[in-house]
Formats: sequence, C-alpha cells, structure tokens
Amino acid sequence: MKDLGLTYTTSIDKKPTLKARLKTLGRGKKHTRIVRALNDVSIDVHYGTVLGIIGSNGAGKSSLMRVISGIVPPTQGRVEVFGSVSTLLALGVGFNPSMTGRDNVYLGGLAAGMSREEIDASFDSIAEFSELGESIDAPMRTYSSGMYARLAFSVAAVVEPDILIIDEALSTGDAKFKEKSLNRIKELRTADRALILVSHALATIEDICNEVIWLNKGKLMMRGNPSDVIAAYREFVDARKSASSDEDV
Amino acid sequence: MEKPVVVYEPFRAGLPPMREYMPSLWSRRTFIAEFSRSELREQNYGSIFGQLWLVLNPLLLSGVYFLLIYVIGGSSDAIRFGHLTASLFLFYLIANSLTGGVKAITSGQRLILNTSFPRIMLPISATVIALFKFIPTLFVFVIIHAVIGLPYSWQMLWAIPILLIALIMALGMAILISCINVYFRDISSMLPYLTRSLLYLSPILYEASSVSDRIRTLEIANPIFYLLDAWSRVVVHAEAPSMNSLLHATAWALFIFLTGTYFFLARERDFAVRL
Repeated sequence: MKDLGLTYTTSIDKKPTLKARLKTLGRGKKHTRIVRALNDVSIDVHYGTVLGIIGSNGAGKSSLMRVISGIVPPTQGRVEVFGSVSTLLALGVGFNPSMTGRDNVYLGGLAAGMSREEIDASFDSIAEFSELGESIDAPMRTYSSGMYARLAFSVAAVVEPDILIIDEALSTGDAKFKEKSLNRIKELRTADRALILVSHALATIEDICNEVIWLNKGKLMMRGNPSDVIAAYREFVDARKSASSDEDV
Repeated sequence: MEKPVVVYEPFRAGLPPMREYMPSLWSRRTFIAEFSRSELREQNYGSIFGQLWLVLNPLLLSGVYFLLIYVIGGSSDAIRFGHLTASLFLFYLIANSLTGGVKAITSGQRLILNTSFPRIMLPISATVIALFKFIPTLFVFVIIHAVIGLPYSWQMLWAIPILLIALIMALGMAILISCINVYFRDISSMLPYLTRSLLYLSPILYEASSVSDRIRTLEIANPIFYLLDAWSRVVVHAEAPSMNSLLHATAWALFIFLTGTYFFLARERDFAVRL
C-alpha cells in the first residue's frame, strides 16, 4: 500500500450538540442547541505526513478527529479514508478495572479492532513496553494512574494501522515514559503511514510533525510547516491576551 | 488513485449500508464475547463465591419457592414447583437482557466516543450476559426436574425452538430499550416497575390455564405471556405447545426484534453526540 494517496475532505457545518437531548419523557420538550463544531474544513493528508492539529479549547480539534475516524458522521461534506484507521483519542478505552492487566490487554486490543491472534503475537512486546513486570497479572484497580496509562499506551502503540490518530494521549506517565512513548510515535513515522496528532504541547508538535494545521472555532485558520503555523498561533493567542488560560505553551 | 476504503458522509434517516455493517459486526464477535465475559466477572467481582454465584442464584431462588410451596404451603405439588422455577428462569433471561440492555449505550460512553464500531454490539453483549446467566439455571432445572419426578417425553424437544424465540425476543428488547434510553433517560428508572408488572402479568406465579378466557384474550398484548405458557407446557408438562402460543410468541419476538433493530441502526450514528 505504498505511495497511496490519502485524502480527507471534510467540510462540516451544524452538528447537534452533546447536550442536546430530551430531558424527560413527560415534558416532551426538546432541548437542542446547534453548535458548529467544524465549518468548511478541507484538508488532505498523505502517507508519510505527520500532521499536527493545534487550536484553543473548543476549536473543533476533537470533533475533527472523531469525524475522520468515523465516530461521528459529518453533517456536511465528505471524508475519504484510504487505509485502516486506529484512533487513540483516550487511553484505556474498553478496559475493565476488575480484570487483570493481562486480560485488559486483550480487551483493549479487541476494542481497538485487533484479532486475538494478533494480540497473542504482540503480547510480549506490549508487556515489555509497559514495564509493568509482575503487576500485569494484578487487577487493574490496584494500578496507579501512571501504571494504568502506561499499559493503555502500550496496547495502543502496538496496533500498526495505516493511519493513526492520537489525541492528547502523550501526556501520560512520568517523564521517562513520556519520552518513551514519544519515541514510539517517532518510530511510527514511516513513509507508508499517516499520523495525525492533536496536542496542546506545541513543542512536541513542532518536534514530531512535518505539517501543522491550526483550527479556531471550527474554521481552518492556517496550514503549513510547523514553525510558521505555531508562530502565527502564538501571536494570535498573545494578541487575545488569554494565553495563560488557554495554553500550556 | 485507488478507491477509498471508507467514506463518511452525512446521513439521511434510514439504515446504514448493511453490506459494510454486517461484516464489521461479525469481525467483532470475539470482542463481544470477551466484553461480556469481563462485564459478567465484574458483576461478581469481590464476592467470595465469584462466578459460582451464577449457579448459586438459581439454586437459592428455587430454594425460596421450595420453602413457599412445600414447607409453608404444605402441599407437595411438584408440577406447581416445576412450573414456577422453569418459568421464572426463562423470565429472568428476558428481564436480565432488558436491565442489561437499558444502560448498554449510555454506560458505554467512553467506548462510543473514542472508537468506531457497530454500536449494536453493546446491547448484543447485554443479551449474551443474560444468556450466560441463564445457562446454569437450565442445569439447575434439569436436576429439579429429575428430583421432583416430572414427566419426560420427546415433545420436550420443543424447548429448543421456544428458547430461540425467547432469545430473539430478549435481544430485540435489549436493542430497543438501549436505543430509547439514549433519548429518554427515565426509562432506566421505570424499568424495575416494567419488569415487575411483566412478572405478575405473565403465567409464572400461576398457570396460563387458570386464567379466565377474557384475561387470556387481553394477554395477547403481553409479548411473553404465550411464550412462557408454551415453555411451561413443554418442559414441565412434557406436552407439545399449542400452535397459537408459538405463533403469538414468534410474531411478538420478530416484531420487537425488527422494529428495535431498525430504530437502533437508523439512530446509532447519532449516539456519539447524544451522550
């Protein structure tokens, strides 16, 4: 599947909000609010690209990720995906705390779309990467949050999809594990894969990505090489004089 | 350029493309099994007997009714005791499927918001869990059946199609109620009253034959009335079920399953933004 083009064209408008739901059966009153999470966003990402997505809270970054990965259908426009997609939007999805780490590797792997045989084959490398040692056979509710995150990232990191979407998942564990996971992401940067990374950590984005887009209020503000976009974004944030509340630059 | 593997577009009301949906659901079957197993284990986690509760529950339940009929009631009505346990066990298959199904989607929020998969997997898991709980009760009933000396005959093979109908009904109810609960969260609070009413309106504490004709006609509106009657006739009395009750149960099971599945599939792409 080398040199295959990967095109995303999304232009989305109007999206029913998360809070829009019927509160009571009796009242029969609909509480809906329309939020434009993404507005005419068009991008294409090719294999070999590591695309960083930046923007302040509520800019539509997570919505974009969810649309690309098929979790939320677009209300306008079209997404075309050429290849298998794996999403790492949150750590430990599908994990059950009362099961052991070992069981959860299977549960998490299956939730991520792997087959049992694939997990069998990569179990040792997952266990090794997580550095949990003997604790892998202890129930996960006995884990510290760092251990939990380490196992969760390890499961996600062995999936080798054509397109990997990572949302804020880097900020887990201690400094050492953070570096290790960062290195793993760098390893995944190959010519036959596309990576999409959402983060507030601008330094990481600048380090890893070879292209960055900046979203603001659902609109695509800028696209280009990391240093230019990040500089423009920083300028924008400073200009709004709300840098401290928005970003951990 | 090669054709895209997946295309996501705005959807209009109606079903998602089944040609993609079904294989995707089938490929997740191991996950359904593993997910159900872990949920089941979670329910008994921390208890001394653990998974043994799956057998202990039906044993204790039948023990209670044994006390009620044989000891307190002072009768030795084997048929009545057999009918009560057999009907109750099948009723719990449906009731457990409903109680598991009602929160299948709302409690699967993390999974739904972060992974793309056929959402119908979650209520299916609820029914699989209910089935896992039901299987040990079958063994318990086989023992009760032998101990209290109920009759045997080849007609008892009717139990297989009746169980299949019950499973379709249970699955349909889980799918339907999980979908309704996304839009009306009150359903989960109302459910205990719903299942309790269903328990009393169905021939469990009494036999269908002891009900007046007028009531029996009204019971056409109860989806599980004739199903439970057929079940009791087959496994307790070792008689063939009446064709009317089989038809009634099948019609209800298919109706609930088909409408539930249709609503679910037509709405499931909306779930992520509703949670």
